[in-house]
Amino acid sequence: MDLRLPSKVLEHILSFVDSNEDRNSVSLVCKSWFETERRTRKRVIVRNCYAVTPEAVARRFPEMRSLTLKGKPHFADYNLVPDGWGGYAWPWIEAMAEKCPSLEELRLKRMVVTDECLEKIAASFKDFKVLVLTSCEGFSTDGLAAIAVACSNLRELELRECIVEDLGGDWLSYFPETLTSLVSLDFSCLDSEVKLSDLERLVSRSPNLKSLKLNRAVSLDALGSLLRLAPQLVELGTGSFSDKLDQEAVSKLSQAFSEMKELKSLSGLWDVLPEYIPLLYSVCPGLTSLNLSYATVQMPDLLELLTRCSNLQKLWVMDLIEDKGLEVVASSCKELRELRVFPSGAEGLNDTNVAMTEQGLVSVSEGCPNLESVLYFCVQFTNAAMVTIARNRPNLKCFRLCVMEPFAPDHKTQKPLDEGFKAIVERCKDLQRLSVSGLLTDKAFEYIGTHGKKLRMLSIAFAGDSDLMLHHLLSGCESLNKLEIRDCPFGDTALVANAAKLETMRSLWMSSCCVSFGACKLLSQKMPKLNVEVIDEHPLETRPDSSPVERIYIYRTLAGPRLDMPEFVWTIQKNPEIGVSHLAIK
Amino acid sequence: MENSNSYSPYSSSSVDSTKPSPSESSVNLSLSLTFPSTSSQRETSQDWPPIKPRLRDTLKSLRLRQRGYNTALFVKVYMEGVPIGRKLDLSTFSGYKSLLENLSHMFDTSVICGTRDSKNHVLTYQDKDGDWMMVGDIPWDMFLETVRRLKITRPERC
Repeated sequence: MDLRLPSKVLEHILSFVDSNEDRNSVSLVCKSWFETERRTRKRVIVRNCYAVTPEAVARRFPEMRSLTLKGKPHFADYNLVPDGWGGYAWPWIEAMAEKCPSLEELRLKRMVVTDECLEKIAASFKDFKVLVLTSCEGFSTDGLAAIAVACSNLRELELRECIVEDLGGDWLSYFPETLTSLVSLDFSCLDSEVKLSDLERLVSRSPNLKSLKLNRAVSLDALGSLLRLAPQLVELGTGSFSDKLDQEAVSKLSQAFSEMKELKSLSGLWDVLPEYIPLLYSVCPGLTSLNLSYATVQMPDLLELLTRCSNLQKLWVMDLIEDKGLEVVASSCKELRELRVFPSGAEGLNDTNVAMTEQGLVSVSEGCPNLESVLYFCVQFTNAAMVTIARNRPNLKCFRLCVMEPFAPDHKTQKPLDEGFKAIVERCKDLQRLSVSGLLTDKAFEYIGTHGKKLRMLSIAFAGDSDLMLHHLLSGCESLNKLEIRDCPFGDTALVANAAKLETMRSLWMSSCCVSFGACKLLSQKMPKLNVEVIDEHPLETRPDSSPVERIYIYRTLAGPRLDMPEFVWTIQKNPEIGVSHLAIK
Repeated sequence: MENSNSYSPYSSSSVDSTKPSPSESSVNLSLSLTFPSTSSQRETSQDWPPIKPRLRDTLKSLRLRQRGYNTALFVKVYMEGVPIGRKLDLSTFSGYKSLLENLSHMFDTSVICGTRDSKNHVLTYQDKDGDWMMVGDIPWDMFLETVRRLKITRPERC
């Protein structure tokens, strides 16, 4: 009796399995399950574009409809990866155009996307629906025009914090009159003004439009007319909120906001003037997400806004909110899950205008039982505060603390912040992401290694004393997937001794540390399944083994050394004297 | 601090943990370990604190406004071949577009940014390092912080 599950039945069962993690497990059961799974997977996610080749992915998943790719390492967000390093989208788009022409969705993060890429997408994928580019660069508004004009079933076009060559606002006018399928449009990162009448016409013929994020150039006046055309919006990113309006325009705008019964997410609000904040009161009770990171509004004006946001789950705000404001958040926003507080005076210590300390975060940790994700920029911190936060919120999953003064100790006791972070990793058993800062010794990393068993991503800057630190992390953190380190005084010994660990991780980034060229060579020889990239913009003429490298990026890969390395990236397969490998980009 | 290839055991660190920035090293680390310990270095640092470019730009313009409140930003403008220059208050312009419009009007000719053309007058600027650069590559607010003077080049020179 054949006990195998007929593939048709398995296919049907698999149609209910969404999570790729589960699908990965399914594909490991046996060959026939592998085959059935791969033929039915629609959503493919590749979190390191250099870990596999585009051809291999296309071959394995012929029915792919949605592809998500990530390119540069995370620290590229902070200018630590030199221009030209890599992360090109072209080879992927070219391969998919040929092998998976039914592709409908493309989501790219930290990749170099050129106008040619966008034109290729527009020309190759007949039923293209979704383009989401996050922190990408390399294209201009001409490329957007190509997408707009050709993708007749376009549903989502989102440019999240991309660096775009802005040649003007004409691109928006290329959306044809026949396009009525738009659900989401985000052009908040562009500078140029789009033609308001074209935008209004686009909005009015898009009955399914749920998310609209405007750029700064869209005036407050224009916002009013847009909102009247799309009261069904669930997500809104306003343009500039600072033009002077007359009384009639203000009341019209107020009316428009009050008509928006579905609004859950609000962002934009550039330069919002205090007198306009009351305009937002009517939508506050419905909001679950509020992004004030560009709203340079000061304290008393924020209070009234925050007290009305009783359903808020996500709050991004500048430290202008001060401890007082965070206390109000703690008492009013009981559903809060994620808090991000950004620095308003990036000069750091000398700015004594802002009254935000560790106390603000302590208040929120006390008042918000569902708080699980924190990003907090602060001038200084204390161990006691972290101990309290950990005690209050053992359910924290993500804790990113950025003490902006490097090596700043506990400002009350002058001790290192070791004990504080110890409390965090000890109490928060489900902690998956951690960023540490301030004065830290190897002890802190011993604690993290001992307790951070679920930790997947760890970011470290200006910390530690010796290689012990790295050794604790690599040998202790079982779930470690991504480790990024800058300006820490160690490298070789721990790296080489824990080389095997690196194969269990997605990637390791180290910059301005003490890793020697010799160690990089050794690691490369020892671990053939890793790409060990030395990224040096100012290499020495001849590189002795003892010379330190500027940056090292190590990642596991099935694809072998990449073919598109620029001159300043060295791998063992490349002869450093010869230099440039041919660049396979367009 | 060890920096060799051998698998030597770790020496337990005897560094005083209350002392910031490690200074002992057997290797010349002039490339790295330039911790931004002075505030002036930090001010111009493009990679600390770790915030994304757009937020960094927003904060720069915020600082500019706070600091430069009501103070003008006059720079000299020369047209190549014309010995007498003009002076322009850059703080009155909202961006590159209005600057170019104004210059075109002031010098009675079309002035553009960026692309090298055999026909057009191209605008260049001298930055605070003394280098001559094409106008338009960097965000406006960053431009305001670094520009020292402007020069409108003649077509054939570009």
